Amino acid sequence: MNGLPQESFRRLLPLLLPFLALWVLCWVVPLFWGVDLALQNPDSGFATSENREIEYVGLENFQRTIGDPKFHKALSNTLKYVFGSLICIIPLAFVLAVALFELPRLYRGILAFCLLIPGLALPGAMSKLFYLFFHGREGALNQYIIIPFGMDPINWMMDPDFIMPSLVIQSVWRWTGVVALFFLCALEGIPSWHFEVAKLEGMKSLSRIRLILVPGVRNLALFVGVFLVVDGVASFSGAYTLLGGSGGMMDAGLLLVTYVYQVAFPGGSGRFDLPGAAAMSLLVAPFVAGFLFLVLRVRLPQAKV
Amino acid sequence: MSRLLSILMLFGFVLLSLYPFTWMFFSSFKTNKEIYQPSQLLPEEFDAQAYGMLLDGKFVDFTGSLWQSVLIATTQALLATLVSALAGFVLARYSFRSKAFLIGAALLIILIPRQALVVPVFEWFHWLGWTGNSFSLVLCGIASGLGVVFFSQSFRQLPVELMEVSRLEGFSPLRSFLLVTPLFAPSMVTYFLLHFALCWQEHLLALLLLDDSSLTLPLALAKLSDVSHRAPESIGMAAATLSFLPIVFLFALFFRKMRTALSQLSLS
Repeated sequence: MNGLPQESFRRLLPLLLPFLALWVLCWVVPLFWGVDLALQNPDSGFATSENREIEYVGLENFQRTIGDPKFHKALSNTLKYVFGSLICIIPLAFVLAVALFELPRLYRGILAFCLLIPGLALPGAMSKLFYLFFHGREGALNQYIIIPFGMDPINWMMDPDFIMPSLVIQSVWRWTGVVALFFLCALEGIPSWHFEVAKLEGMKSLSRIRLILVPGVRNLALFVGVFLVVDGVASFSGAYTLLGGSGGMMDAGLLLVTYVYQVAFPGGSGRFDLPGAAAMSLLVAPFVAGFLFLVLRVRLPQAKV
Repeated sequence: MSRLLSILMLFGFVLLSLYPFTWMFFSSFKTNKEIYQPSQLLPEEFDAQAYGMLLDGKFVDFTGSLWQSVLIATTQALLATLVSALAGFVLARYSFRSKAFLIGAALLIILIPRQALVVPVFEWFHWLGWTGNSFSLVLCGIASGLGVVFFSQSFRQLPVELMEVSRLEGFSPLRSFLLVTPLFAPSMVTYFLLHFALCWQEHLLALLLLDDSSLTLPLALAKLSDVSHRAPESIGMAAATLSFLPIVFLFALFFRKMRTALSQLSLS
């Protein structure tokens, strides 16, 4: 099969074993544990608590979750967040990468590193910064963008219409530079004869972009897309610090993982609904995984990953 | 014309990336009143007491958290690089029975975002009695789908001849792996950095798996911004600045290697 040496599984085992063991320990067991948990009565308590009586209630938790309007809200918020960020980040990062690519090599590195910096900060620190610097009545967004256009200052943290855009802006600000760096490296990996041919053919810059630059970044764009979707679905820290663990005004900023956390470990009320939270995870996780798997399969047929 | 435009745009973005952090740095010397005026960059007088209070552990044990984070992120990233590289090497360079099945199953499950499974992971680790120490946090982040995808892409660039030679010599797979690893140092460094950055930012799992005595940085920052502590804003800014320095330093150190590896990766 495509020229790869055939080996017996036993001889490969030493190399695969660490991965397989951890895979079973941290993914397969929790998955089945979660299924088991999701079928239990939420009043049973923790697995380790004394005199615990497990009572299986069938699919009741799933039904409860599907009927939960807050779950719908969290789901649609997360979808908006993921696709909103993806649609802004990838084109913007591509444009930036092309702009960087036109520069002499020395400046490229320095500027690319500067762009990378927001991606390195802790989401919690970023939220703090956002809260103090960009938002608020006197914040930079209002000061430099909204007021000069003659609009009323926006309360970015409280107005339900603007919480989601503000989370998306935060994610765009954070990741665009990182993605631009990835794309820049991809452009640098394009063999130089491609550009020479383009020159000889007298290619216009638009078709140069379409025929040489875009195919050049396609592989990495895929990797980045998968990364952004996973990060977006899993994002918790930024919104948690920004909104103090709640979903914000009218739950406009409630993300899925935040809601799972809220259901499982409610502050104060003391009714830990772990089965409900598990059911919620299990309703969503397979779709995300399946979607990503299909993307990888379809776009990388030669890769066979 | 268009060239000028693209340079202007670049500088705009660079400014947008750098200025808020400059502001953050200077804000760590400001009073609350000055911080609430975001258009002001420099403080009226430089007052470093926020750093003093932070390092003395007045509100949270900041130095402890810093070490905790460095330790966890370094260990996890090292182990993750090793484990993913081994698995990626096998998947990219060998074919064996039930390979397709293994890849399919492993990838399908591992692409579930880890944070979505946190409740079962928490319960399971609780049952094992592993919660409350940093070892469990390190352990559950090592195997990652991203790593396997990354390395099986990188190892695909290995020349077939090299594998032929090691087969003729009768080398075991492990020996061949050790033979070719030096060629992939840039890829390994790159993945190490990526994983380090992700682990450095991990909040939710740390929140669940660690107890209050050993907080990591994201937890310490969240605790600082908790209103009930009434910590001055400058302390939060100082903490953000200090939590930022180690990772920026690390990336700056290996930036070149990372670029080499990424431009090779895109070829395949």
